[in-house]
Amino acid sequence: MENKNIISIEHVTKRYPVGDGEFTALSDINLQFKKGEFSGLVGPSGSGKTTLLNIMGSLDSPTEGKAIVMGRNVAELSHKESAQLRNLHIGFVFQIYNLLPVYTVFENVEFALLLQNINASRRKKMVMDALEWVGLQDMADKKPSKISGGEGQRVAIARAMVKRPEIVLADEPTANLDAKNAHTIMKTMRQLNKELNTTFLFSTHDEKVMGYLNRMIHLEDGKVRKDEPIEKPQYA
Amino acid sequence: MIRFLLKGIARDKNRSLIPIIIITIGVALTVLLSGFIYGMMGDMVDQNARFETGHVKIMTRAYARDKDQLPNDLALLGVDTLVRSLHKEFPDMQWAERIRFGGLLDVPDAEGNTRAQGPASGMAVDLLSKNSEEIERLNMKSSLVSGAIPKKSGEALIGDDFAKKLNLKIGDTFTFIGSTMNGSMAFQNFKISGTIRFGSAALDKGSIIVDISDAQLMLDMPNGAGEVLGYFKDGVYDDEKAQKVTEQFNAQYAKNTDEFAPVMQRLKEQNNLAGYLDYVDSFTALFVGIFVFAMSIVLWNTGLLGGLRRYQEFGIRLALGEEKGHIYRSLIYEAIIIGIVGSIAGTLLGLGGCYYLQTHGINIGQYMSNSTMLMPSVIRAKITPYLFYVGFIPGLFAMVFGNMLSGIGIYKRETATLFKELEV
Repeated sequence: MENKNIISIEHVTKRYPVGDGEFTALSDINLQFKKGEFSGLVGPSGSGKTTLLNIMGSLDSPTEGKAIVMGRNVAELSHKESAQLRNLHIGFVFQIYNLLPVYTVFENVEFALLLQNINASRRKKMVMDALEWVGLQDMADKKPSKISGGEGQRVAIARAMVKRPEIVLADEPTANLDAKNAHTIMKTMRQLNKELNTTFLFSTHDEKVMGYLNRMIHLEDGKVRKDEPIEKPQYA
Repeated sequence: MIRFLLKGIARDKNRSLIPIIIITIGVALTVLLSGFIYGMMGDMVDQNARFETGHVKIMTRAYARDKDQLPNDLALLGVDTLVRSLHKEFPDMQWAERIRFGGLLDVPDAEGNTRAQGPASGMAVDLLSKNSEEIERLNMKSSLVSGAIPKKSGEALIGDDFAKKLNLKIGDTFTFIGSTMNGSMAFQNFKISGTIRFGSAALDKGSIIVDISDAQLMLDMPNGAGEVLGYFKDGVYDDEKAQKVTEQFNAQYAKNTDEFAPVMQRLKEQNNLAGYLDYVDSFTALFVGIFVFAMSIVLWNTGLLGGLRRYQEFGIRLALGEEKGHIYRSLIYEAIIIGIVGSIAGTLLGLGGCYYLQTHGINIGQYMSNSTMLMPSVIRAKITPYLFYVGFIPGLFAMVFGNMLSGIGIYKRETATLFKELEV
C-alpha cells in the first residue's frame, strides 16, 4: 500500500444549487494521495477546501468525476457503507474539538472503538495508548470542561487516532488555538504520521500548519492552482 | 454501548433528571386523577348498591312500578320461601330482605305528652340474626356516632343529626306513627340504642333503622318485605353477571300474569342508573383520555426538545462513523429507559397519592347538606389494577413517540454540512 494511492480524486466537480442557478465549489479536480502523506489543502475561504475534505471523508459525493477512498468510490456508497468507511478507516479532527461534554476524556476517545464492537480490555489498552501518544494519559478521568483548549484538541486527535485509521482529515485544527498549542498539536500529529504512517490531510490557511506540511495543494475558486511538494518543511 | 448510553443518561441532567421529573409528575397526575375519578364514580355506584338497589333487586311487579312511593301494600309476601329458593338457585349471591317505610316520629316528655315530632324515613334490615351481613354491608359499625347497634327487638338506630334536632339521647324512647301494609294506622315504640351518620344527606335526613322483624310486626307484614336485594359475594357490581341472573330469574315468571309475581331488576335498571353509569363510563374514559392526551403532548415535546438539544452530539457521532439508524435506535432506547423510570416513579407517586385519598378522602359534606342525591359526603380515590399501567401511556409511549419524531431529523441530516455545523 506504501506507493499505492490511498485517495484518488479524478475529474471531480461539485456543484450546489443556489436559487435558480448553481454554485461550482470544485471544478475538475485531479489529485492523488499516498499512504503516509502529510498534506494540506490551502487557500482562502470559499476556495473549496472543506468541500474537497467532505468528499474525501465520504461525507459528501461529487457531482461529476470519481473520488476513490481506500479503493471505494464514495459516490457509489450507501449511507451505511459511508458510515462504515468513516468508522473503520477515517479519523476526523474538527476546528472546535467537539468532545461529548458528559463523558470523560477516556470515554470520548473510547467512543470510536465502541462502534467497532472491540472488547473492553482491548479497548482500554487502545485508548490508553492513544492518550499516551498525545501526552494525556493522566487526564483520562477528567471531563472536557476541566481541560484546556489545547488539551481538548489533543483529545480530539486521540479520538481520531485510537482506531488506527489509514486517513486523518483535519479541518482548520489550529484555528482556535494559540501559537504554542498550535505547534504542540501539529508536532503531535507529525509524530503520529511518522510513527504510524497515517495519512494526514489538512484544510487550513494557518501559516503554522503550512510550516509542517510535506505537500501543499493551493485551491482557488474550486480549482487546483498549485500542487507543491515540500522537501524540507519549515518546522520538520 | 448500552453502558455508554446509560452513563450519558445518568450524567446529563437535561437528558435524564429533567425529563424524568416531567414524566414522573405527568404520570403521577394521570394515575392520581384516574384513581380519583374511578373511586368517586365507583363510590356512588357502590353506595347505591349497598343502601338502595342491591346488585339486583326483587320486588312485586306492582311495587316495582311505584317503588319511589315505597308502596308497602304491594310488598312481597312469603319471602322466606323466596329467599330459600334464591340461595339454592344462585349460590354465589347473598340475599337481604329490606323494608323501607315513612311516617312520623313522636317524642314524649315525662308526662307522656308530645315533646317533639319529625317526619322519619325508616329502613328495616336484618340486624339481629347471627349470620346477617347487613351490618357490615351498610358499614354500620364505623358509621355509628354514639351508642350501639340494636341487640334486641324494640331497639332502633336514629340519624345523629335527627337525634340532635329532636333532643334525643341514647336510651330515650320514641313512637313511630305510620300506616300498616293494610292501610290501618301503625304505632310502635322504640328505644334508641345508638345514633348513626352515613355521610350522605339522602340517607341521614330523618333516618331511623330498625330490625326487619320489628318492622314486619309494626307494619303488619308477616313474612313480608318490600324488597329482596341480591349481592355478588365479591361485592363488585358486574352488569353482565347481573343481567344473566336477572334473565334467569325473570324467565321463571314470564308466563305469570299476576301483578304480585316477583320481578328482578339489576342495578343498572334502577334509579335511572343506566344513563348515569353509561355517562360515568364515557365521561371517565373521555376525561382520562383528554388528560392522557394532554400529558402525551407535554412529554412528546420533552422528547422533541431533548432530541433537538443533542443536534451537535449526533453530528459528531455521524462524523465518527456511527450509522444514522444506530443513532436513531439509541435515541429510542434512551427514551424507553427514561420513560420506564419516569413511569414507574410517577406510578408509585400517583398510587401513593391515591392510597392517601382512598384512606382519608376529601370531605365534601358541607356542600352536600341539602342534597337528596345518594352519594358519599367523603369522596375517595380507588386503587384498581388499571392504575398500575395507565400512566405508562403518556409516560412511556409519548416519550418514545416524541423521540421517534424528533429523531427523524437524524435521517434528514446532510453529512456534507457536518464540518460547517461542527465549527459553531
